[in-house]
Amino acid sequence: MTSDDVDPVAVAPLIAAQDITRGFFGNPVLRGVSIALRPGRIHALLGENGAGKSTLINILSGGLRPDSGRIVVNGAPRGHLTPSDARKAGIAVVQQELSLTTTLSIGENIGLGAFPRRFGLIDYRTLAGRAREVCGLVGLDEPLSLPVGALSLGRRQMVEIAKALFRNPRILILDEPTSSLSARETGILTDLLGRLRAQGVAILYISHRLNEIMALCDHVTVLKDGVVTADRPLAGIDAAGLVRLMVGRDPGDLFPTWTAPPAAPPVLSVTGFAAGMTRDIALTVQPGEVLGLGGLVGHGQEDVLLGLYGAIPATATAVRVNGATSLPGRVTRANRLGIAYVPADRRREGLHLIHSIATNLMLPAFARQHGLSLRRRRQEQGATAVLAARLGIKGDLMRPAQALSGGNQQKVALAKWLPHDPRILLLNDPTRGVDVETKREIYRMLRQLADAGQAVILLSSDTPELVNLCDRVAILREGRIVARIERRDLSEAAIVAAAMGAATAPAGTGGAP
Amino acid sequence: MTAAEPLPRGVPPLYGPVQARRNRGLYGLYAVVLAFLVIDAVLFPGLLSRDGFARLTQNWFPLALAGMAQALVMLAGGISLSLGAMVSLGAVIAAVTMSGPAGVGGGLALVLAAGLAIGAATGLIVVRLRLPAIVVTLAASFLIGGTALLILPRPGGAIPDGFSDLLAGDQPIAFGILVVIVGLWKLYLATPLGLSLYAAGENPVAAHNAGIAVDRVRIAAYALSGLLSTAAGLFVAAQTGSGDPVIGDSFTLNSIAAAVLGGVGFLGGSGTMRGALAGSLLLSLMINVMFFLGLPPVAQYVAQGLIIIAAVALPQLRIRGRRS
Repeated sequence: MTSDDVDPVAVAPLIAAQDITRGFFGNPVLRGVSIALRPGRIHALLGENGAGKSTLINILSGGLRPDSGRIVVNGAPRGHLTPSDARKAGIAVVQQELSLTTTLSIGENIGLGAFPRRFGLIDYRTLAGRAREVCGLVGLDEPLSLPVGALSLGRRQMVEIAKALFRNPRILILDEPTSSLSARETGILTDLLGRLRAQGVAILYISHRLNEIMALCDHVTVLKDGVVTADRPLAGIDAAGLVRLMVGRDPGDLFPTWTAPPAAPPVLSVTGFAAGMTRDIALTVQPGEVLGLGGLVGHGQEDVLLGLYGAIPATATAVRVNGATSLPGRVTRANRLGIAYVPADRRREGLHLIHSIATNLMLPAFARQHGLSLRRRRQEQGATAVLAARLGIKGDLMRPAQALSGGNQQKVALAKWLPHDPRILLLNDPTRGVDVETKREIYRMLRQLADAGQAVILLSSDTPELVNLCDRVAILREGRIVARIERRDLSEAAIVAAAMGAATAPAGTGGAP
Repeated sequence: MTAAEPLPRGVPPLYGPVQARRNRGLYGLYAVVLAFLVIDAVLFPGLLSRDGFARLTQNWFPLALAGMAQALVMLAGGISLSLGAMVSLGAVIAAVTMSGPAGVGGGLALVLAAGLAIGAATGLIVVRLRLPAIVVTLAASFLIGGTALLILPRPGGAIPDGFSDLLAGDQPIAFGILVVIVGLWKLYLATPLGLSLYAAGENPVAAHNAGIAVDRVRIAAYALSGLLSTAAGLFVAAQTGSGDPVIGDSFTLNSIAAAVLGGVGFLGGSGTMRGALAGSLLLSLMINVMFFLGLPPVAQYVAQGLIIIAAVALPQLRIRGRRS
């Protein structure tokens, strides 16, 4: 699979990270990770959501410092890289989140930060010539003077790639470059990477599309929970084998025992539902049931929750929500219909951080009161004390919510709905960035809610969570449900394979859950 | 890869088309400005004489500089509430120094140096301490305005007649200076430091990752903004022949109005200097026209408010109309 004139294994790596450890707020994200990028090799980096891929890229490109370990650039070891070290070493990164200036032209964006100069001024002629050249390489034929804001997401991604090429990289890191590209654009990129490989560029390629990786890459490093589980040539391994290397965490006693919900008519059912990027969604959930929404991050899972909650416009051909026959359409009506939503970004969307824990707990109750009715402090104190005891939140409830740890904040964001006995609970990745102990408590709370007959829709980027908590899981890809997996078929491999579109999709797909 | 090779022949030019595209979205504003120019010329035919043109551009000049100064800070992602105080300070320094031993040259240098230094200091505080520009410049407006009052507690001082006549006489010299300033701005925008202002204002993190010295770019914008503000003050002093420590107050809000009319965005990195200039010209023409129509000065404020709200609401309505 490697080009003929270079034997990558014999050549020293251009950059190598050795024994890298890095944590965030006490959560280890990378634990003893090593990776070596060699010239003339396309190296795939694989891993589930949250396995530590982005952190590793940021360390390689100087955006983050490792807690320990070292980085060897051209044989010289050092503790960390700065962004300018990385640029000097010839490292260019094509970021997943686009980093272009929309008001500037394509040409100016490509040269930004590395403008050719003449008498201190930007040399627009040289810039135009060289920008045209790199645009040619990626098949961009729009006029260079066009502002980037006028381009589609896919074309912007190509500009981003051209911008990286403009710097003549010796090491090129691409973070999910094809997620917004058309098939034709993907083909152009594939050809280009092949040529760069022949020129001796070291390429690190991150993608969730397994068939792409199988076709393009020479070598693979698989990350699972911040640990390298494979570092080997791609020859001799298939997609199913790769999936197995990415999954299979030991859940231990983290999850409460699953119990089957009693048979009951559904409390929520929609067909032909569309919101945001999602299309043609059919879902039902019955009291006491936990329905999982899985898939790679950003494939429309959140739009389903927000659409059901009335926070973004949504349409559906047939609806039954707790007796009503139309979508809530707005949040206040959703609340009246017994729907509660707990957002993923608790700091920005879930809580009022500078206000007290008690105020946060009481907010949904305030929203139900009439206009100018007076607050009853004594009742509030009683209600918040009961909730806090149920949650295990200790100490003064008049402290601001930001004084709590992330996990406890999430508990407050969830608990504020409990007094209103919601029939349908929409949870958006409730354990993202939460420590293990709080996870355990949140799982227990979730189980209690389901046992009490509440219907739960759980969006999660954590596959073991979906496997161990849910009665059924619907997998979304590109805004559509591509697989529905029943409890008996649930496994991490089945979920990951469906999310990535690998051929090992399990039985039990199709058919409304 | 192929960077070292000579450039292919016949590459289409980039600079010209990029400049031409900056006019997009401004044609409506240009048309309104032109309409007001015509109305103004009909109401006051003297406008077409050299003397009339000199008067018109002199009335416009300080607001043009203030609009550019405000646009610079807004492009950097901030806003300046101390701009008016800077104008006052410029006027006061000019009136106190130019008739003294420093002379016209010394006074001019002092005014410009003060603008540059205070602007840079403001930028330094906003950028390095990561404080909101609106708060820092609010505080600065009291500090700078207070300093102007300490230097010259009541209107006074003097600008030498010769200098006053040169800038604000019957020759359109102010317009010439404006042309030079616009030329210098275009030169600045053709440097990596200048153009990077757009990237640093729109998305500082991405700009940093692209290798741009984001802090330096933004501080430079504040410094240049200060320079333009005190220069506007100097001109106002030359127009009146003396210094007034509160003469700049109205420039703070008027400069924001000019920039907003010209399509400069509040979130940084969007808008053009030519837009801000056209916006300031529109405001100054409007005042002229309403004056000639004999409307009371209060009506000017009402009209100004209506025009600004229309200018920002119309593009939004058009976007919504296109969506539905």
